[in-house]
Amino acid sequence: MNRKSVIMLVILAAFLAIPLVDSNQYHIYMLDRALLNAMIASGLVALTGLAGQMSLGHAAFYGIGAYASAIVTKTFGVPVIVGVISAAVLCLVIGMLLSIPSFKLSGFYLSLVTISFGNIVWTVIVNWYSLTGGSLGLLGIQPIRIAGRAITRTEFFYLAAAVLALIYFVTTRMARSYIGRGLRAVRDDEMAAETAGIDTKRLKLLVFSLSAIYAGIAGALYAHLSTFLSPESFVQAESANFVAMSVVGGIRHMLGGTIGGLAVTMIPEMLRVKGWEIYYLMGSSLAILVLVIMLPNGLAPSFEKFIDRLAGIDRKSGKRQVK
Amino acid sequence: MLSIWIQNAVSGVAIGLLYGLIGLGVVLFFQTTNLLNFAHISSAMLGAYLCYMFNVTLHLPFVLAMVLAIILVACYGLLLKRFVYEPLAKREGGRLEFIIATMMLSVFLLNAVIVLWGGVPKPFPNVFGDPAKPLIIGSVAIQTHSLWVLGYVTVFVIALQSFFTKTMTGKSLRAVAQNQGAARLMGIDVEKMLTISFMLSTGITALAGILLAPAYFVSLDLGGGIIGIKGFAAAVVGRMNKPYVALLGGVLIGLAENFVVLYASSVYRDVITFAFLILFLVVRKKAEV
Repeated sequence: MNRKSVIMLVILAAFLAIPLVDSNQYHIYMLDRALLNAMIASGLVALTGLAGQMSLGHAAFYGIGAYASAIVTKTFGVPVIVGVISAAVLCLVIGMLLSIPSFKLSGFYLSLVTISFGNIVWTVIVNWYSLTGGSLGLLGIQPIRIAGRAITRTEFFYLAAAVLALIYFVTTRMARSYIGRGLRAVRDDEMAAETAGIDTKRLKLLVFSLSAIYAGIAGALYAHLSTFLSPESFVQAESANFVAMSVVGGIRHMLGGTIGGLAVTMIPEMLRVKGWEIYYLMGSSLAILVLVIMLPNGLAPSFEKFIDRLAGIDRKSGKRQVK
Repeated sequence: MLSIWIQNAVSGVAIGLLYGLIGLGVVLFFQTTNLLNFAHISSAMLGAYLCYMFNVTLHLPFVLAMVLAIILVACYGLLLKRFVYEPLAKREGGRLEFIIATMMLSVFLLNAVIVLWGGVPKPFPNVFGDPAKPLIIGSVAIQTHSLWVLGYVTVFVIALQSFFTKTMTGKSLRAVAQNQGAARLMGIDVEKMLTISFMLSTGITALAGILLAPAYFVSLDLGGGIIGIKGFAAAVVGRMNKPYVALLGGVLIGLAENFVVLYASSVYRDVITFAFLILFLVVRKKAEV
């Protein structure tokens, strides 16, 4: 075990210890939300950073996952885990469908299609009263239970951290396999990739459904965390926020989703100073804007550089960054 | 029945022309920079609010207020280039970074407007005639607003066309849009043309925003996204390179919207735009940007 892994583990342990030290329930709730956002941003890092496909409609998958799990557990009385799995399956199918336009479109046109998709899903959520409760929202969703009692927010934190770790593991493994190499080839030059015998359609299908599953799982967990859903959580601005997370974190870096998800969820909360409530959204969007302009590569590469320096690693030989 | 048809067609064309105007701004911007500005629609909101401020709060005559508002928004376009586009270009930020930066900019401007003017929609003064007193021809009632819009857009398009074909700046701008490298070799100041296209696209959108205000009120809806996406849809119809086809695309969207409201439900008014976008993008043969 080298010094770098030791430092990484220390930072990880310090992060995981936050709920044990800080007993403010609101802070822990925001950390829970940050972890869920990090899951979605990780999916977008795989989708955009690795495969070069743009999606500005991921709030739709977040919403589909949330409503699917909530409705399944409510109507059939099945345990939460069944709800989460059904949310993931539904998002998988819809993610596959959304990958079809990407066979032909790229760049801005693809982002416009995904925006339309997000808005259509949102309109359906708002207007399908009998299923989703419309703009009134969906009440009384069962919380996650352990040994017969609902779990606390601290326990949810560790559950979400474990799921995020799993997502990180899967994404990193994938990025280093032949799939990841194929995806990077698609990103850099699609025609060349096709000529080299890479099935670009299959890879796009795969990466779209993967990021959709991540967002679906995050949505399902969110439904059982808050036990109340309203369409307001899944508006278009949220999709933009998710992409902002992945860009702020570092779209080409495997840790980008995690760091960006945490940072972008926390920045507005830190600016929520008493007496300045009307300015905090202005301030936070400006902060993110400045971050994107100043650090187009994201926070994660700078973070890694900083750790390398702490560990005294020569950046050339010790680099294990997925690129 | 026919009179309802005509009424809907006229108001659809009028609103559609304004979507088209926004799309025209998108196309002009895309042609020179090869980028999409997701804060594009914020210019419409800024234009409407500034015009409201000059006209209602400061009691300036409407036309003067409108011109001042458009000039100020064009200056905002200058700031946009200086503080968002140039730093990003210098650090080799790609399209995605520009998208996110402009999206955050639009959130920022939305909240800035909330801080400055509050979030409550304000009624626009009846400078285009009283909506309760439409022009009545036979059994057809036509909003005077629609006629004013038709007039303004016609004058504007003629002015724009002569700018592009008669003046040296307009010609240079078209050259830059066609081929930046060749334009630079011909001695055209590409940097200056980029600045002009920033100012032109934000100014046009401000005009569209001011003319939209009687229909949408002076409200945050003008900067809130859906109208912006309608502008993008119009630009997509114009394939991102034909400004006047974009104008026509906007008219198509406006008409489709109005007739959907007439025959189906107002709930699905906005869905039309998205269906339009997906249809135009997916069905069309070649689509590369």
